[in-house]
Amino acid sequence: MSTLTLTLRQGAQPVGRMSLAGVLPAKLAGLSEDEISKLPIRVGAGHFALGDFFSVKGTPGDTLVIAGGTHNLDEVGAGLSAGVIVVDGDIGGYGARRMSAGHLEIKGCTGPYLASRLSGGLVTVSGSAGDNVGGIQAGEKFGMTGGVVVVEGDIGTRAGDRMRRGTIVARGKFGDHAGSRMMGGTLWSEAGFGKEPGPLLRRGTLIGPSVEKFLPTFVEGGSHDLVVLGLLSRHVQDALGDLAPKALPRVVHKYSGDMATIGKGEILLFD
Amino acid sequence: MSDIKANGEKSPTIVNDIQIDDTFAEAFGMSATGVIITADTPKWAMIAAKTMSGFGTSVIGCGAECGIDDEVPASDTPDGRPGVRVLLFGFSPDALLPQLKNRVGQCVLTSPGSACYNGVEADERLKLSTGIRFFGDGFQTAKKVGDRRFWRVPVMDGEFVCEDTTGVVTDAVGGGNLLIIGRERAGLLETTEAAVDAIAKVPDVIAPFPGGIVRSGSKVGAKYAGMMASTNNAFCPTLKAFPGSELSDDTIAVLEIVIDGLTSKAVSAAMKAGLKTVLGSGAQRGVTRVSAGNYGGKLGQHHYHLKEHLP
Repeated sequence: MSTLTLTLRQGAQPVGRMSLAGVLPAKLAGLSEDEISKLPIRVGAGHFALGDFFSVKGTPGDTLVIAGGTHNLDEVGAGLSAGVIVVDGDIGGYGARRMSAGHLEIKGCTGPYLASRLSGGLVTVSGSAGDNVGGIQAGEKFGMTGGVVVVEGDIGTRAGDRMRRGTIVARGKFGDHAGSRMMGGTLWSEAGFGKEPGPLLRRGTLIGPSVEKFLPTFVEGGSHDLVVLGLLSRHVQDALGDLAPKALPRVVHKYSGDMATIGKGEILLFD
Repeated sequence: MSDIKANGEKSPTIVNDIQIDDTFAEAFGMSATGVIITADTPKWAMIAAKTMSGFGTSVIGCGAECGIDDEVPASDTPDGRPGVRVLLFGFSPDALLPQLKNRVGQCVLTSPGSACYNGVEADERLKLSTGIRFFGDGFQTAKKVGDRRFWRVPVMDGEFVCEDTTGVVTDAVGGGNLLIIGRERAGLLETTEAAVDAIAKVPDVIAPFPGGIVRSGSKVGAKYAGMMASTNNAFCPTLKAFPGSELSDDTIAVLEIVIDGLTSKAVSAAMKAGLKTVLGSGAQRGVTRVSAGNYGGKLGQHHYHLKEHLP
């Protein structure tokens, strides 16, 4: 397996937002280091070459390593459909947007809109993630439609906005209004949810140990012994291995909602 | 072992004092599907599986040939509970669909704590949840887990979880068989039971008749109009005095094992396993001979020659 490493040059930190859209293992495969250095990238309102900011070393192939990430790097792994991207550091917004397969591994924190419209593959974040994980940009109908996101830290507000399928796991806490307008999929927190999760939730599952404050349009449904929790536990264990959250107990406390819509969503609380 | 005598007449093969006829089992191409049924305990998974595979002996009279392939340990089932794999064989995927729907709907959905999942990996799919999910009367919800979709149907003990589709194959085989012949009925039954147990250990096959054994072997057609099959008079001991009998004077009974498999290789492996058991211990229990049923080789695509399946 060959690896190409892009190292952010000391003193070449981008001043504006830098988009790494299109800097993907499959697109770099077959190019020389020189050709890769000359690839155009957008920084702020200007156009630059990749080599203006990064030193390029290694052999393009399955794996792309970005050494020295910063919060200015937007759209890292956007459109990824194969291979692995490892970012040693933070990234900005829109990481893994429209990604369909492969693995984006971020050894740091991310800005907003991580995994926006993700349809497949795996995104792992060792730090925390910003707002709107798995969500949509204005005018889009669906957020995440597949894939798995695992965030070791906390996640910002409105995670899973208009999400349809897929799983977002946080070892930390989800911020306020997680699962807003969700139509399917699973949000799974090991530390709980912030205020008012699930506004206009139609379908989908939010799983965690606690909720800071419920919306009045969620109805407590008591304890339930659910077979589907075994399915979910088995799936994340198979998909994530050591990264998987602890298997769920079979009995959970269920809240149904959002009754302001069709009310087929659920918030499941475990001890 | 023996072979052709000088005058060209075939002499029987004898293994452990049991005669092996120089013949073959003739089997047919079929379609097959399957499900894995799970429940809170192995007992209830088995109850649901047995209920679902009931009245599933012959595709002609029952619509499908059904049976339990194997128990599935909790570590290998989608929901981490103990399971049982049931296989269904029929003429075509279209013919299997109503059988699947009715059997799962009436026998698995109704069984306490049950869930039902894909049981055959294949590109062609049957809608396992068709009809069944509508039992939820609008309260059912779908859950996509990875690339598999499951339906959650509210029922009185919680939820019935049912996978959306299951695989169906069209190159399965139905009708592998062994005819086990003996001069003592109790010993013959014991031997045949042991052979069924050995066949049960072969993956991807079922023996769909009661306990895996059929005592009413049939031939195609009858003297009566409208009868598709009738008794296999050549192997009925009470008809030894009539022309066409293939039984010797000392034969008291004949039992048959019919084998359906997802692949021809699986049926072949099951035939070998069954033969090995019969030949290993049959003679002490009164087994005298092993034969196989065929239609002259003109109807079925698959021929399993007994001599090629000797241990």
